[in-house]
Amino acid sequence: MKIHSILVVDDDENDQFICEYTIRKFDPSIRILKAFDGTEALDILRQEETPDAIILDINMPVMNGFEFLDRYAEEFEQHAPVVAMLTSSHLGKDRERAMQYSFVKSYFEKPLQSDHLHIMAELLGHKGP
Amino acid sequence: MTFTWSWERANVAASLWCIAVGLVMLALWLAEPAALAAAHPGLFNMKFNAALTFVVLGVSLWLVAAGRRKLPALMMVPVFIYGALALAQHVLTIDAGIDTLLNTPFVDIGTSQPGRIAPNTALCFILMSIAIARRALRGKNDIVQVALGFATFIIAAAALVGYAISLDFAHDWIRFTRMSVQSASCFVALAVAIVFVGTEKTGYNRLTIAAILGLLTYLILLAMAYYELARYENTFGITFTINGINARSTLSSLVLISGALYGALIVHLYFSSRQARAMAADLAESRGRLAAIIDNAVDGIITIDQHGIIQSVNDACTRIFGYEPEEMIGCNVKMLMPEPYHSAHDGYLGNYHRTSEAKIIGIGREVEGRRKDGVIFPLDLAVAKVELNGATIYSGIVRDISERKANERALIEANAELEEFAYRTSHDLRSPIASSLGLLGISKDMLAEGNTPALGQMLQRMEVNFRRLDHLIQNIITVTRTRLMEEDEGPIKLRVLVAEAIDALSHLDDFKRIRIENHVPAELTIVSKPSKFQVIVGNMLSNAVKYHDPKEAEPAIDVRAFRYGGRLRLSVEDNGLGVPPASRHLLFKMFKRLHPNRSFGSGLGLYILRKSAEALGGTALYEARDKGSRFMIDLPDGD
Repeated sequence: MKIHSILVVDDDENDQFICEYTIRKFDPSIRILKAFDGTEALDILRQEETPDAIILDINMPVMNGFEFLDRYAEEFEQHAPVVAMLTSSHLGKDRERAMQYSFVKSYFEKPLQSDHLHIMAELLGHKGP
Repeated sequence: MTFTWSWERANVAASLWCIAVGLVMLALWLAEPAALAAAHPGLFNMKFNAALTFVVLGVSLWLVAAGRRKLPALMMVPVFIYGALALAQHVLTIDAGIDTLLNTPFVDIGTSQPGRIAPNTALCFILMSIAIARRALRGKNDIVQVALGFATFIIAAAALVGYAISLDFAHDWIRFTRMSVQSASCFVALAVAIVFVGTEKTGYNRLTIAAILGLLTYLILLAMAYYELARYENTFGITFTINGINARSTLSSLVLISGALYGALIVHLYFSSRQARAMAADLAESRGRLAAIIDNAVDGIITIDQHGIIQSVNDACTRIFGYEPEEMIGCNVKMLMPEPYHSAHDGYLGNYHRTSEAKIIGIGREVEGRRKDGVIFPLDLAVAKVELNGATIYSGIVRDISERKANERALIEANAELEEFAYRTSHDLRSPIASSLGLLGISKDMLAEGNTPALGQMLQRMEVNFRRLDHLIQNIITVTRTRLMEEDEGPIKLRVLVAEAIDALSHLDDFKRIRIENHVPAELTIVSKPSKFQVIVGNMLSNAVKYHDPKEAEPAIDVRAFRYGGRLRLSVEDNGLGVPPASRHLLFKMFKRLHPNRSFGSGLGLYILRKSAEALGGTALYEARDKGSRFMIDLPDGD
């Protein structure tokens, strides 16, 4: 199923650039929203329509990925159908912890690649419109 | 030591006694007091010659005790000769003319010939002269001397006792010639000195010798008594006859048998007392050994009764709990426990008595103890139940584990920190690489598309990544160095060090915009570790520069240092961005970046600052200002 909008949450400007480039190349019609930490992401989600997917970094200043997930689960009734974690390293118990949230569907290692977006699109398809 | 000394004194006392008795008797013989002789004839039983000989014996024994050798031995030669001649006169019934050689007695009491000494006296002179000569020549006691002393003692003691119980034969071996009381007492004194002084060198037990001496004297007296009885019976022709049996033998045998029984009883008593003494010594020794083990134990050992009353404590308990033993004994053991154990302990004991369900007895576990000063500390406690003569006591072994617990905690903290460090580094190390790989992929695309102008931007992005990586690795090296590097302390001129640190920052952007002032007094010197101190100052200053407020018209940094209360405080104040209240709890933590949009720091800066300060025995502090921040370190000030 086609992805219409993605929210990218990452504090690193280069990673934001890579995500944007990869998504554009995958499907130029996808609307990209950018947030540099958890608080910015929550602000966007409060204002905008729920995106089809969220790509979320874990290690961010101010509000990190997990803090964001907590707040997102608490504050919002309707969640993005596909939330994918995107992180530099598989080390630690981050994966287990992230997968405990019902709306977290995938766990990718950086850099973002078009394969990752295919998987997300498929996951969105299973979920149904 | 005291024991030996007192026996040495006995030696001197014996010689003094002999000399005194001898001199008095010599004087009496020379004074010839006829009235005294008439009133107390027994006084003159001791002859002139005997008195003189005792003076010689006493003097020579004294000389021996004083360490002289040849002189006392030589002095014994005439004594021996005189003794031998006197004895020969009795045995061979001759007159050698020695009895009145020096003094013609004015009275003639208790002797067969005027001035003649008794045979037992003569024999004792022989024995003593040999013993003292031997003592003088050898300089120590030996078996021969002990044997000679033994014989002398028995003869003299029997004579003395004979006087006491009117058994004439004991002092009158030959009729009309008796050993005088004075002579007997002098012989006993001499013999005791010979036998008992220096006995330890012969390996004989004084007590055993004394017991044997007593017993032998007794047996000899017994035999003499038997002999006397028989003599009287014969002399006076008394015969006791009952039903045709010769009663003489019955009576005499009775004396002999009862005496022998009595002797045997004494021997038995002696041996059982020796045994008891040995057992008591054994018991005392093993008790002493046990007490020494318990008192010197590193762990505290406490015993309580069924009601929790402390019965005994060892020295370690005083060290662990701070109470003196008398403050603990007799009190309830809960005095050593903090709440909730303090209130619950009586209940624990009660429960255990009712249910026999052990919570700690025979198990041992970690609990808490309370010192006299009220400090509560972790304690390892093992309790054992001891059944003793029908009563139950509990013995507890306690060990203060404060240090172990503190070490454990420190280790767990250090381990957690290390784990966090490994996790964060692996993440942050890969992050720029992952990013660069992504950028590389994009660059390839661009190259294939011929979009060369965009490639420059890619290279720039990659450079940022690598610079970040390099910065991170530099910081990790700093952290590792702070952790591991051993560094000697040295005097540091603080003002110079701060000035150098300011110069080192001049390459940073915005450096020229900021007014940095070094207020550190020129004379301020601290003894510390120079390179760690450099890390601290560099860190504080570069943070202040990096997080200045770009909107501030006059960005300023002030560095101050001063001593107070035995410590040194270094502070760096700025009017920069400050730290938002919500983030302040993250200050000094590992990998925390508080101003993400301002700087691509590693998130290790303040962590390094804190660790370096701690490595110097100090602390890192933060204070918010109305505008900006004040970072400080407090260090112990050695001088």
